[in-house]
Amino acid sequence: MAKNLRLKAARAAKDMSQKDLAEAVGVTRQTINAIENGDYNPTINLCIAICKVLGKTLNDLFWEEDRHEP
Amino acid sequence: MSRKGLDERQLQKRNSIGNQSFLLLLYLLLFDAVLYGLGVKWAGYPANVMIILALCAGIYVIRLIAAGAFVGPSPQTRKPLLKAGLTVISVILAAAAVLVIAKNAGIAGFGPAEDISAPVMFVGAGLALLIAAVTFVTGNRRNRDEE
Repeated sequence: MAKNLRLKAARAAKDMSQKDLAEAVGVTRQTINAIENGDYNPTINLCIAICKVLGKTLNDLFWEEDRHEP
Repeated sequence: MSRKGLDERQLQKRNSIGNQSFLLLLYLLLFDAVLYGLGVKWAGYPANVMIILALCAGIYVIRLIAAGAFVGPSPQTRKPLLKAGLTVISVILAAAAVLVIAKNAGIAGFGPAEDISAPVMFVGAGLALLIAAVTFVTGNRRNRDEE
């Protein structure tokens, strides 16, 4: 899985650390780190919680553009 | 998100590690039975099962700690050092109390396991402490690297 740099950028734009975001959505910091590194595929509930905290949409943070799309 | 218990990634990890540890336990017990059937006795009856159980439980806990799936997210940030210390002391006191009561009540030992159970438990406890210390140090280092 590819790294989720958009999540990292959105978090940094809000001036939040991984720990801050983890506490806001009720998971461990390791889970946020795993999502950003592409090591863990979060459930839709966690995606929505993250989006709400960061003020973004699911498309902004988690939609992967199809590389083969013309 | 729930603030009690483990988070979703930790639950997935715990389930996966638990399944693998259970299968490991099953295969080791089967292997032990096969060895017994072939006439190979590497330990007496209760001791062999106890050792296999302790091994699998140890592997399960170590893998859980290594995967960061042992303690769930908690809103409190203070380190539970005092709590851990009190737990260790109370466990030691409880074990000593059980031993004294069992001795005074004249309860029989466990037969063949009695010979090696003490050193096995002593070495096991020492190894567990060593592994816990190494895991604590590596976990802290990894946390610093990831920040």
